[in-house]
Amino acid sequence: MIMGVFVSHTDFVIERDLPGSPAHAYRFWAEHDRKRIWTSCHPDWTVEEDTFDFRIDGRETLRWRTPEGVEHGFRAHYLDIVPGKQIIYAYAMNAGARQISASLVTVEFVRKGEKTHMTYTEQAAFLDEADAAPRSSGTGTGFDRLALAIERSLAVSH
Amino acid sequence: MKSEQFDRLFHALADPYRRSMVERLARGPASVKELADPVEIALPSALKHLKVLENGGIVLSEKVGRVRTYRMRPNALKSITQWVKQREAAMEKAFDRLALAMAALPEREE
Repeated sequence: MIMGVFVSHTDFVIERDLPGSPAHAYRFWAEHDRKRIWTSCHPDWTVEEDTFDFRIDGRETLRWRTPEGVEHGFRAHYLDIVPGKQIIYAYAMNAGARQISASLVTVEFVRKGEKTHMTYTEQAAFLDEADAAPRSSGTGTGFDRLALAIERSLAVSH
Repeated sequence: MKSEQFDRLFHALADPYRRSMVERLARGPASVKELADPVEIALPSALKHLKVLENGGIVLSEKVGRVRTYRMRPNALKSITQWVKQREAAMEKAFDRLALAMAALPEREE
């Protein structure tokens, strides 16, 4: 039986105009309570650990438990910080024992009149668990499933 | 990146020999010989087709001793685009909240 983890590399960029100066935007990344205002996204998950040490070489750790009892984790390591201008960090996500991804993120803040133009660039390694069992022939032939999978992957790419 | 990935994927599937190999592998792992015999092609030619499928991200191979075994790559056709879509969507939502929070807590003159 072949087992292992497969890695897919990708990157994506999100750009945003935010209200206020770069210094203002930066505080929402650099201060624990301000960052949690916008990073908390699952009200039904219990926070089991929340540490935030925002400095070069500092760590941020979050652990949650879902109502189903699965532990999710976020571990970040700040690699470079230029106050008000740029933050570079590495982070990994896991669900239970399974590692989901490991990424390098660069956040840049540039003044744009009254606003701040923020550029978020994530370079990610997505980890794909190998299924240990051979594929069983579920519904339809393998080729039907292949066609279905292609349709689905095209549907999400639009 | 995404369109290159699709180009490789569709190139990989744009051949009847390769499609029949994929059909066979969807039922479980197989050796090069097991994949070459039913379509009556020589082993080097079969290997060439399998290389294209591997570059297309559809199959994986592993060599144990002298036998190379191929199998479908799990979630080969959906994973990366779906992941990126999900991650991007989650970050977009977070940044919506960030923009709202920044507007709600106006900055002090420093």
